[in-house]
Amino acid sequence: MTGTARLKLLVLPAALFVLAVYAWPTLGLFRNAFNETGPTGAMIEAWSLKTSQEVFSDGFTFELTLNSLWLSLSATLIALMLSYPVALFLFRTTSRFRGLLAVIAIMPMLISGVVRVFGWLAILGDRGLVNTLAQSLGLISTPIKLVFNWTGVTIGLAESIMPYMILALLAGFGQLDRTLEEASRSLGASPARTFWRVTLPLSLPALALAAGLGFVLSMSAYITPKLLGGGRVFVLATEIFEQATTNTNWPVASVLAIYTLLLLLLLLVASNIAAKGLQR
Amino acid sequence: MPTRRLVIQAGLASIAAPAIVRAQGLSGSITLMSYSGIFQDNYTKTVIEPFQQAFPGIKVNFAPGGTSAQMVGSVRAQKADPQIDVAIMDVTTSSIGNSEGLFEKLTPAEFPVLNELLPEARAAGGEYGPAVTFDHLVLVYDTQNLKPPLATLADLWRPDLKGQLAISAPPNIQGLALTAMVEKMTGGDYRKSIDNAIKKLRELAPSVNTFEPNPDGYSLILNGVVKVATGWNARSQLYADQTGGKIGALLPPEGSVFQINTINLTAGSKNRAAAAAFVNYALSQAAQKAFTERMFYAPTNAQAAIDPKAIARTAAAPDSRARMIGLDWNDVLKVRDQWNNRWRREVIAAAR
Repeated sequence: MTGTARLKLLVLPAALFVLAVYAWPTLGLFRNAFNETGPTGAMIEAWSLKTSQEVFSDGFTFELTLNSLWLSLSATLIALMLSYPVALFLFRTTSRFRGLLAVIAIMPMLISGVVRVFGWLAILGDRGLVNTLAQSLGLISTPIKLVFNWTGVTIGLAESIMPYMILALLAGFGQLDRTLEEASRSLGASPARTFWRVTLPLSLPALALAAGLGFVLSMSAYITPKLLGGGRVFVLATEIFEQATTNTNWPVASVLAIYTLLLLLLLLVASNIAAKGLQR
Repeated sequence: MPTRRLVIQAGLASIAAPAIVRAQGLSGSITLMSYSGIFQDNYTKTVIEPFQQAFPGIKVNFAPGGTSAQMVGSVRAQKADPQIDVAIMDVTTSSIGNSEGLFEKLTPAEFPVLNELLPEARAAGGEYGPAVTFDHLVLVYDTQNLKPPLATLADLWRPDLKGQLAISAPPNIQGLALTAMVEKMTGGDYRKSIDNAIKKLRELAPSVNTFEPNPDGYSLILNGVVKVATGWNARSQLYADQTGGKIGALLPPEGSVFQINTINLTAGSKNRAAAAAFVNYALSQAAQKAFTERMFYAPTNAQAAIDPKAIARTAAAPDSRARMIGLDWNDVLKVRDQWNNRWRREVIAAAR
C-alpha cells in the first residue's frame, strides 16, 4: 500500500461517520419527499411529485423564501457592521490580553441558543431592560414592541451569528498587510482615507467570507425566529419544523428541507465565487 | 374448625386467583410514551406505580415524547422495530397512527374494560385505542392583576387587555379549538364556515402579545409577561393549586371544546401481553379515579367513583358538560390546513 493510499484510509472513519449520521438520513428525506399526505394527515407511501407540486404552487412557499432571504440579509448586514471593528481590533491589538479578548468575543457560542434567546427576552421584552430604562428616563410612555416580531428576531439573529463572523473575519484577514496602511499614511493620506482606500478593500475577501457564513447560518436558524418571533415570523426553518412536528406532514417538511438545502448550497457556491473573485 | 373469616378469605382468594395468576405470569418491561413534565410526574404516581404494584413482574419505562405529533413521529420512525409499547397522545395524531397501521385495534373480548367507558370515549378511537382522558380549552388568567377578572370569551376583546394576550395559533390545536369557540360565540357553526370567527379574531390580533407562547401560556402569566392565555383545564387547575391561586381557569359560558387523549397499543409491541395489561389498567376505575383526583382530567370510565370536588373542576361536571361544543376532531383535521392558512394570512397578518 502506498503512502497516499494509507493517508486516504485515515479519512475512512470520518467518511463512514458522515455517511451514517448525515447521508443516510438525508436519503430518507429524499424518500419522504415523494410520499403523499392523506386528507386527515396520514402519510401515504408513494413515488409521486404531488407533494412537491402542492408546495411550489402555494404562494406561501415564495413568501417564506423571501422572508428567509430578507431576514438573513438584514441580520448579516447588522452583524457584519458590528463584527468588523471587533475583528479588526482583535487582529491588530498587541495587548497581552489578546487571547482573552478573542475568547470573550466568541463566548456567546458557548451558551445554548435557547438560553441566549431568553436573555434577549429579558432585555427587549415589554418589561425588559430597554423598555424599563426608556420609560424611567421619560423617553416613552408605553413599551415599544421589541420582541415577538421581526425586530426582535433580527436583533437576536444578528447577535447569534456575530461570533462566527468574527472568527471568519480573523481567518480572512490574511492579506491585510500593515505596511500598506503605513505607506498610505506616510504618503499623506488621512486615517479615514487610508481606511476607505486601503484597509477596507483589502478586507473585502474576509468580509465576503464572513457574510457568506453569516447568511447561511441565518437561513438555517430556527431557535431565534421560533422563540423571538411570537408566531408572527414565518421563515423556511420554522415552517419545516412546524410541518414535521405539529402537522405530522413529513412529505411537505421533506420537500421544504430539500429546497432549503439546495438554496443554501447555491448561496455557498455564490459566496465562495465572490470571495475568490475579490481575492484576485 | 374453620372460622367464618377464614372461609370468606378463602372464597375471595379463589375468586381473585385467576387474576393473580395472570398478573404473576406477566413479566418484563414495557415503554409508555406520553407528555413530559407534570403529566409524567402525576401519571407515574397515580397510574404507573400502582400498576407495577399489581403486576410486580412488569417494569414500565416512561419515555417523554414531546408533542403528540412528535410522539406519532417516533412510533412511525420505529415501525419496523417498535421500541414503544403504549402511547398516550392527542386524538388528532393517534388517528393518523391508526390510519397508518401503527396501532392495534382493541376488542372488548380482550379488553373488557372497554364496556365500562363512556360512549364518546369509545367513539374517539373507533375500533382503536379509546380515550383515556378528557380535557378542555380554558382561558387562563392572572387572578391578582386582572381587574375585573375574566368572565366570558368575549372579554378577550376588552381594551384593557391590549398587548396582554398569549394565544396559541393553529396548527396548535388550541388555536383550532379557539376558532370553533369564537365561531359559536358569533352565532355560527364551524362545520359550515369560520368566516365570522376569522373576522372577529382579526379584530383581536393587535391585542395579542404572542401567537406562540414559550414555554407556555401559564408560565407567561406567572412571569407577568401577559395577563390572559389559552390553556388546557387540567394543567391550569394544577398550576392554580401549585401557585396558591395566582392563575385562574375559565370555562367560557360561550362554550369550550374537548381535547381528547387516547391510549394506544403499538402494533408489533415486543411485550404485547404486558402492554395490554397496562392499557386495561389505565382505563380501569381505580386508575381513572386516581388520575382525575390528582390532575383534573375528566375520566373516560363511566363507572369510576370520583370525588365530586375533583369532578367539579373538570368538564365532566354537569353544568360544564352542557357548555361543551360538539366538535369532531376528524372533521377539523380535514380543514386544518385551510384554517391554518386563514389564520396566517388574515389574523396574524393583522397583528404585524
